[in-house]
Amino acid sequence: MHRIMKTAVFGLCLTAMVGLADAARADAPGVTDKAIKIGVLGSLTGPFAIFGTGNLAGATLAFEEANTAGGINGRQIEWISLDDESSPPKGIAAYKRLTEQEKVFAVFGPAASAVGQALVPTFKASKTPTFISVFSTPVVTEPPIPNVFRTGPMNDRQQGTAIADYVIDHLKGQKIALIRQSDEYGKRGADSVVARIKARGHKLAAEETFNLTDTDFSAQLSRIAQATPDVLVVYGYPNPSAIITRQASQLGLKATIMGANSAGSRRYPEIVGEAAAGTQNIITLEVLPESDDPAAKKFHAAFEKRFPDLARQGRPDLGDVLGYGGALTFLEALKRAGKDLTQEKLIAALESLDNYATGLSLPTTFGPNIREGNQSARVVEIQKDLSRKMLPVVVRASEGAAK
Amino acid sequence: MLAQLLVSSLTAGAVYALIALGFVLLHNGTGVVHFGYGDQVTFGAYLVLIAQNFVGVPFSAAIMMALLASMALGAAIYAVFMVPLRNASLLARLIATLAIGTALREWLRAFMGPNAWPFPFLLSPAPVEVGGLMLVPANLAIIGVVLVILAGLYLFFEKTLQGKAILAACENRTGASLIGVRVSRVFLVIWVVASLLATVAGILVAPLLTLSPDMGLIAIKGFTAAVLGGFSSLPGAVVGGLLLGVLEALTGAYISTALKDMISYAILIAVILVRPQGLFGGLALKKV
Repeated sequence: MHRIMKTAVFGLCLTAMVGLADAARADAPGVTDKAIKIGVLGSLTGPFAIFGTGNLAGATLAFEEANTAGGINGRQIEWISLDDESSPPKGIAAYKRLTEQEKVFAVFGPAASAVGQALVPTFKASKTPTFISVFSTPVVTEPPIPNVFRTGPMNDRQQGTAIADYVIDHLKGQKIALIRQSDEYGKRGADSVVARIKARGHKLAAEETFNLTDTDFSAQLSRIAQATPDVLVVYGYPNPSAIITRQASQLGLKATIMGANSAGSRRYPEIVGEAAAGTQNIITLEVLPESDDPAAKKFHAAFEKRFPDLARQGRPDLGDVLGYGGALTFLEALKRAGKDLTQEKLIAALESLDNYATGLSLPTTFGPNIREGNQSARVVEIQKDLSRKMLPVVVRASEGAAK
Repeated sequence: MLAQLLVSSLTAGAVYALIALGFVLLHNGTGVVHFGYGDQVTFGAYLVLIAQNFVGVPFSAAIMMALLASMALGAAIYAVFMVPLRNASLLARLIATLAIGTALREWLRAFMGPNAWPFPFLLSPAPVEVGGLMLVPANLAIIGVVLVILAGLYLFFEKTLQGKAILAACENRTGASLIGVRVSRVFLVIWVVASLLATVAGILVAPLLTLSPDMGLIAIKGFTAAVLGGFSSLPGAVVGGLLLGVLEALTGAYISTALKDMISYAILIAVILVRPQGLFGGLALKKV
């Protein structure tokens, strides 16, 4: 009897101890002595695959490099990748699966604005630190959500402000025209351009809209040409932007064309053709992936070696660099969070990042209530030979004039 | 401005017409509306890139290879999907075409990447000024090609025995086979020709529209053009395409560019409601 009692007490203690250990782990799901489990979420198929595949490739490369170098504070990164198929409902289901069933420590992604926007209520209900590095809709950071961080792309509202400032201060635009895509992306960005231009005391010479599937822009461009603008801001996805640039030149429009980040793909100049020469666009990178910069070359070589199939498709491109830069930044915070890892500590560590540079993507600064890590962008000018040149100017989201 | 607008809109219209021709050809020949046709157009242009970049042949040889490969694709679609489904319901066959399109599109996205690819113009995209109008040779070429294809198909169907056999086979399968038409071969030819046409269209429109896996979305406009023209008339498809291009441009210029799409679909609905046989189609009476 005594013996049984003893065993029972011992068992009870053991259960209590395990229970305590479990309680201690409640704020560190997915963390064991040897590994940290991360969920990578992105659109790998469907129309937004352009973003999701970059997110996954960048994360894969950065995580593998970290593991080879001995892991993060002695723990290896383990990751599980889910495809939201470019569908917001599937994105919500995948995020819930990662956080509730797979019990990951943090989520890296999602990678498309439409999915991110739909996930906002889920983000708010979740405690899982979520790190975004590719898409640019402002709704995930404005207002800030405690567990959701983004670096890499400035958000569309900030990009619009930066474009307006750049056009006024650097291109010295006197007659500025604007053509925008009719969807959410074009509306957010272009509204912000227009608001900033007005706030700076200028007037738009012409403003036109197009639909994503349009192929003929002669009506809009003819009207714009009548206003004889010196700068034309094109706010839309790469394909319509490319056609607009070509048709503008075919209609004899002389204005300097200024595009958004979406025109930042490596192949964009070639897709447009000759008409691309002299056009400019915002890009949220420190260096171009194809450039001779040592960091870019190193990344390029590593990427081509790891993903020969993607290299064949003209990658690494903007999304890959953003994904990789984001993953490096995320890993830095994970390291700073220390050996005794919890989700709160990761969030605190992320908030401690101050002008953290990866050499590829633009520097990241978070803080209490600051969830938009990058607030600057560069400008690319397309040369006569259709190569891309990074201009020295750095445009900023909010500090008034560009520097 | 109006003259320039009309000239430019004819290019968009010609692109719609080219795709509408494919829809009508397949519909006339096999009775199926091929909902994956737009993806086949995209696939055709990608075939050129694949031959150029991965087989390593020059551009002109790549075009030849793509044309041959697309004929094989057409034959394969017929043999693998349409023959087994020949007695299935129309709905089953329509869904099969949708599946073919989706499979082609997503394979392209996985293998060729989600990013757009540059695709060279066959003629110069630089504008030439003629009487105050900016004309673009590459764009005019599309209108020319559409008219040539139309003339070729029209002569084939109206003036040759083979063409008439195809129409007969479509009209009445049993009747046609009774008088000695090999219906299965007729259908095979239609699929091969339509696939060839898709690749020709793809090569012409890819530099214009920007080649990406989603370029096939343009087929919705081609479909509208085909409905506008009556869906069974080849000249109707061309007129429908050009008309749609011009209507869109006029809507864009004088009403609202944001409403362009809405108005072209409103036309689609109006045609179906008011004149389901389209501008050129005759009323098909089905006796039961």
